Amino acid sequence: MKFPWPWKPFAVMAAFAVIITVPRFVPQWYNWRVYEWETAGSVLDFQPRRHPGQPFEEEAERLRPTAPAAEDPLKIADPHGAMEAFYVSLLRTERREPGAVTRILHYGDSPVTADLITADARTLLQERFGDAGHGAYLIAKPWAWYGHRGLDVKSEGWRSDPATLRGQKDGWYGLGGVSFTGAAGAWSRIRIRKPGHTRIAISYVGQPGGGELAVRSGELEVGVLDTAAPEEAALRQWFDIPPQEEEIELRVTRGKVRLFQVELFKPGPGIVYDSIGLNGTWAGVLAWHMNARHWEQQLREAQPDLVILQYGTNESGYRKYIDSTYPRDFVEVLRRIRAAVPEASLLVMSPMDRGVRESGGAVGTMPTIPHLVAVQAKLAAENGCAFFNTFEAMGGPGTMGRWYMAEPRLVSADFIHPLPAGGRIVGTLLYNALMDGYNAYKQRVLRQTVASGRQPGAVKPQ
Amino acid sequence: MLLSSSIYFVFLAAVFLLYWPLQRWRAASLAVLLFANLFFYARWDLNYLALIPAAAFLDYCIGLGLGAAKSRLLRRGLVASSMVLNLGLLAAFKYMPFFLGAWGAATGAKPPEWHWVFPLGLSFYCFQSLTYTIDLYRRDGKPVRSLLAHMASVTFFPTTLSGPITRVLALAPQMEKTGRALSAEDGGRAFWRIGVGLLKKFLIADYLAENLVNRVFDTPGLYTGTETAVAVYAYAVQLYYDFSGYTDIAIGSALLLGLKLPENFNRPYLALNSSEFWRRWHISLSNWLRDYLYFSLPGLRSRRRWPTYVNLFVTMLLGGLWHGANWTFVVWGALHGAALAVHHGFRAARGNPPPGGWAARLGARLLTAHFVIFAWIFFRASSLDNALEVLGRLASMTVSFANVSLPVAVVMAVGIAAHFLPKKYTEWCSALYVRAPFYAQAAVLALVVLAIEYVAITGAAPFLYTQF
Repeated sequence: MKFPWPWKPFAVMAAFAVIITVPRFVPQWYNWRVYEWETAGSVLDFQPRRHPGQPFEEEAERLRPTAPAAEDPLKIADPHGAMEAFYVSLLRTERREPGAVTRILHYGDSPVTADLITADARTLLQERFGDAGHGAYLIAKPWAWYGHRGLDVKSEGWRSDPATLRGQKDGWYGLGGVSFTGAAGAWSRIRIRKPGHTRIAISYVGQPGGGELAVRSGELEVGVLDTAAPEEAALRQWFDIPPQEEEIELRVTRGKVRLFQVELFKPGPGIVYDSIGLNGTWAGVLAWHMNARHWEQQLREAQPDLVILQYGTNESGYRKYIDSTYPRDFVEVLRRIRAAVPEASLLVMSPMDRGVRESGGAVGTMPTIPHLVAVQAKLAAENGCAFFNTFEAMGGPGTMGRWYMAEPRLVSADFIHPLPAGGRIVGTLLYNALMDGYNAYKQRVLRQTVASGRQPGAVKPQ
Repeated sequence: MLLSSSIYFVFLAAVFLLYWPLQRWRAASLAVLLFANLFFYARWDLNYLALIPAAAFLDYCIGLGLGAAKSRLLRRGLVASSMVLNLGLLAAFKYMPFFLGAWGAATGAKPPEWHWVFPLGLSFYCFQSLTYTIDLYRRDGKPVRSLLAHMASVTFFPTTLSGPITRVLALAPQMEKTGRALSAEDGGRAFWRIGVGLLKKFLIADYLAENLVNRVFDTPGLYTGTETAVAVYAYAVQLYYDFSGYTDIAIGSALLLGLKLPENFNRPYLALNSSEFWRRWHISLSNWLRDYLYFSLPGLRSRRRWPTYVNLFVTMLLGGLWHGANWTFVVWGALHGAALAVHHGFRAARGNPPPGGWAARLGARLLTAHFVIFAWIFFRASSLDNALEVLGRLASMTVSFANVSLPVAVVMAVGIAAHFLPKKYTEWCSALYVRAPFYAQAAVLALVVLAIEYVAITGAAPFLYTQF
């Protein structure tokens, strides 16, 4: 019998193997390699037995902070006492001192854009310390999924320029990183689900020939904002609104206006938690796209007690960037914030886990994530910032895969963006970490007070 | 080990290199195939190594019994025991959490934990295995005498995860034949099918899933009515390319080993009615449901028409449940069951309609496609609430396409155009590839891999049908 060896198919396979191997040995083609032969041995990797996804309650129980503080990823690493200013303000707020508002600016990338993590942290903090208002909200939706829990916005006629796209040559993007330009007829209606706000502040650009904006609260006209000014300047105008009103309308009545954000406040004491999610942002956007002087002015006007920076998801796709210019960009962002609000606490919050599909079909952690988290921790420590390791607090490597398999699912199928239940876990982790630090601070204050016999408020914590 | 992963192709190449030199020795080549099949199962979970061979061996014995038994009662007992065995496997290792959850909901007690779930491929294995014993019971064939041939065919690795559901009596004789050769033409066709399958999976199905479909179905509230509608259409495209892509790779893999598997798709969205849709979509499952479930239901020979309609409805309802223990699949099955019953009723009352002009045919195709796409909402939704949320967004009539990027629109357009492309063009391309010299074939495959590498940077998602 003739030996039935399939020569041509075999030749195709051999030639294919040669073609995909060649780029390994030609330096100019190195980036075109598509297969690492070293991984071929993983065909013998047998999978451990997997159980169906953990239910949410079990996952939440696992995440409860019980481990000792020194090695606990669920706590904020704060060797320089960078959080003290925030805790001091929080203590005043908790004591219900008149006008004691603690304001938190939480900057983040796409996971924050839909207010998923920040909304839960805001709710928990305001339940405990009081509600001093929603804080900043963009004039319109620059991205379809932009939205804040408790507010709805409908709008028409605005051109939005996010800082990521550098649509504005002057680099003025307000506090929230987006500039909105509208001509007569452009409007925004913000519906407030939790009324009680008594003041709003609209940030805008005063400019020669600037247009006019009518501000209404329900049926009541609360004021007119004339944006005409002798020279271009970023300005902020306050308006009082009736606390029972559930809707604010902004309408351009004449000319062209350029706005940034509207901030909503209630009478304190309480917490204002601003969720500032910029879709697709990386450190370079805050460091270079946004005009330094303008952004510093916006930060100064906001008077935050704590600024949280939660970036890294977008950077994680670019290992070379992380190892080259990322540290410079990140330090520049910290420098800008420090220059604007030197008295505020600064907390670096690492990105969440980011999943990637492995060859066996399982979802593992993108290899750059632990590296990026380590880089951020180092930069935070070197620059006197507090650091919260979101990645480890969530459960470390492979979390996205576990969360994707959980029932209900905690993360969307891109293994990047949390679903509301996942956002609630991360928001709760942040809240718990902030409260752990705060409780430790209060204990220190109490000990010092007892030792000195002075009033607690007079103690400057060490 | 997904059929789209690089590691699968390392495995396939190893099987190829072991299998063909041993082709002239029947037992050796069958042993290689059986070893490859069990290795494939073990890569998912080592527990399969106990479960599948034991079940396959019992079915082999039942098959021998059916071949020898003359008594009708004994034959019934044997086929019933095979059904209990296979359906019991499904109930115990796939549907048990659903049953326990339902029991817990009914009694208010906390259901006991059940960790022995082996969902991957079990439905396909059980259906494939049942074809053997039911065919023997119906005397549609003779038992496979070789234990190796039976076990190798019933566990054949390309069909393990998502079919095509292949009759054991069609596959085993191919495996038993010694001295087969793989012609250059069949080899070329195998590579073509694999390449096309990978392109379908990565460049169309996964791209649409990651960039639109999953986001919209995860959080419909964040999208407008028009964006949700586009996502629903995109899901229809995604599902077709995902599953037919898998089928192409499975058929190509089998062909590399000289084995022919049945086709599973024939441009399904061109169907003129729901009956024709099921002759074009997941053909092996449709045939299975028809041959082994629908024909087995009582009342089929009745003069009255309603038992036919009830049987169609019940068949599709059970077909829906086969996809998973979820009310969404029940609704999906019920919708298709009702559509089939209505179509049969219409045909019985009016007879087969004449072909009609192009406008009538276009209208029929659009109507059928839109019904199918509507039903996919329930098929894709994670729960009935999720499905209603998607429908609610569709009804909201809000208009914006901000979340539908140009690349997504282009991929959808390419996917739709390729689906409607007349077969002669794809066959011409296939023939051109098959005639090409070996280095050109290899270069084209390398280009496919390169394109996938640079577009699908996050890796392949599992094939949708592997969960069923």
